[in-house]
Amino acid sequence: MSRAIQKNFRGLRALVMMAPDSNCVTLQQTLLKLGLEVTLARTPPAGEAGPRPFDVIFFDADDGSDAGWDDSTLTDLPLIALIGSEAPSRLARVIHTRAASHILKPVRSSGIFTALLLAVNEHALRMRQRQEMQALHRRLAGRRVVTKAVMRLMTGCGLSEEDAYEWLRREAMQRRIPMEDMARHAIGLGPDPAQDAGSNQGRATRPD
Amino acid sequence: MVPRLELPIGLLISQTGSYEAVSRAIHAGAELAIDEINAHPGQPVKITPVAIDPGGNLAGYVDGARVLLQDHGLKHVVGCYTSSSRKEVLPLFEKADAMLWYPSHYEGFETSENIVYIGAAPNQHIVPLTRHLLRQFGTRGWMVGSNYIWAWENNRILREAIAASGGAVLGERYFPVGETDLGDVVAQIIADRPDFVFTTLIGQSGFAFLKMLRAAAEAAGIDQPRDMPAASCSLSESELPMLGDAAAGHLSSSVYFSSIASVENRRFVGLWNARFPQMGQASADAESAYVAVHLLARAAARAGSTGFAAVREAVRDLSFDAPQGRVTVDGDNLHCWMRPRIGRSRRDGSFDILVEHPVALRPDPYLTWTHDARDGGGRDLRLIQ
Repeated sequence: MSRAIQKNFRGLRALVMMAPDSNCVTLQQTLLKLGLEVTLARTPPAGEAGPRPFDVIFFDADDGSDAGWDDSTLTDLPLIALIGSEAPSRLARVIHTRAASHILKPVRSSGIFTALLLAVNEHALRMRQRQEMQALHRRLAGRRVVTKAVMRLMTGCGLSEEDAYEWLRREAMQRRIPMEDMARHAIGLGPDPAQDAGSNQGRATRPD
Repeated sequence: MVPRLELPIGLLISQTGSYEAVSRAIHAGAELAIDEINAHPGQPVKITPVAIDPGGNLAGYVDGARVLLQDHGLKHVVGCYTSSSRKEVLPLFEKADAMLWYPSHYEGFETSENIVYIGAAPNQHIVPLTRHLLRQFGTRGWMVGSNYIWAWENNRILREAIAASGGAVLGERYFPVGETDLGDVVAQIIADRPDFVFTTLIGQSGFAFLKMLRAAAEAAGIDQPRDMPAASCSLSESELPMLGDAAAGHLSSSVYFSSIASVENRRFVGLWNARFPQMGQASADAESAYVAVHLLARAAARAGSTGFAAVREAVRDLSFDAPQGRVTVDGDNLHCWMRPRIGRSRRDGSFDILVEHPVALRPDPYLTWTHDARDGGGRDLRLIQ
């Protein structure tokens, strides 16, 4: 299934982490033309106030310092690497950050829109895949509970395996909850704590 | 008396090749402005042109740009027509700290600090045309085009607007540049009876298509201009003579038509007709090149210099009372504020202007600030008739 791509970036908040040189000037000018709000910084402005709200981060992959590169402050945002040196040690760092796209230096106005479009859309895809993966993990983990509930219904209520399963399915549908949650109810367990954490994380992504 | 500033410029405009009709009009428009400026002793600059004919080939543009920028050391070149030629030479201009004055409408999604874009951006051509088609004719469209970026991107914008309006794209076909074997697609269009046909076919393909569509519609008893009009963002006065009996009744979105009623345009058209009577009526491409040279001369005069950086700063927010009306270079993206217009072609090789934007519209090359093309937009487009 194909989704509409995001191609308008008006109002997106960009954090640009690089030295204020001519590359930085070209990048900033072009981002402003594209309607983004730009914040310049040498390191991630995390810390006491918590992570600043940004929608996309540009970082200089040639920058020597790894200080401030704490993955937890930069998770869940599309990253775009500015690359001058193609030395593997530098590129390994780009891989490590999971940058969703890159811009080669010297920075030209051409190529910035492409890098931004690829990063934002690639990131959105990754977020959707992560949510799907979390849902699958939950279902997988829940299978043990479902089996247990079916067994309980078979032994406790004298149902056949098929009837027990069908009863769980129908009850879950009527209550509009996942089958796994219904199974937890049936064997007297509370709601699944892992699931709530998962769905919160899903909501943290910025809608298109 | 202050001596006049010598302004050497390059002209990188094809005089031969597959789109020579349009490209010759561009060259002629530039010549007209150069001669006009040089003949006027009161003008602060005097222009010396160096012309190279790239012959419509990409390699010709690259070689030509090298000669103009490296051998002649020029800082200002008026030229290019296709987007591919512009993108091909741009790195040379960036390296040489030189400015390309680009005299054509294009599909947008570019903002170089080494190009002044004199032609219309997409929010000034395809977006107003899309609104007009969806409002006046319906939401069932057929798209046919030459197979390259200009067609793909314009069709993308139109397709999204049609989908958002709950309409339907009945067909979308692309052909190699120059293809004239278009009988099958014309038959299919007649069978589908769309509300309108949007064409991005260029050159010979475009002429063949419009002629065949008109003939097939007549044979089927369809009043094609009224019930199934063909619309484009490029059909101009230079091309209408090639359409013969099928010249009338096509819609075109453009910032210039030779029929604009203004003092500046009457003067321009008079000069054009006296100088180039064999080239058809004055067209958007000719006017755009004429405006490019005038803006360049004014920017150099304002800067008191012909240097790249000085002229670039001087051209920001600079205005010129052009044949199409006042044109202002946007200080931010170096595209121009202009008034979109929609014309309907006449048998005599000119256009009736049906719709014109009441004021100059800010250029929006990335369509960042432009609402969806389906957006009512009734407030910003004024129907003339």
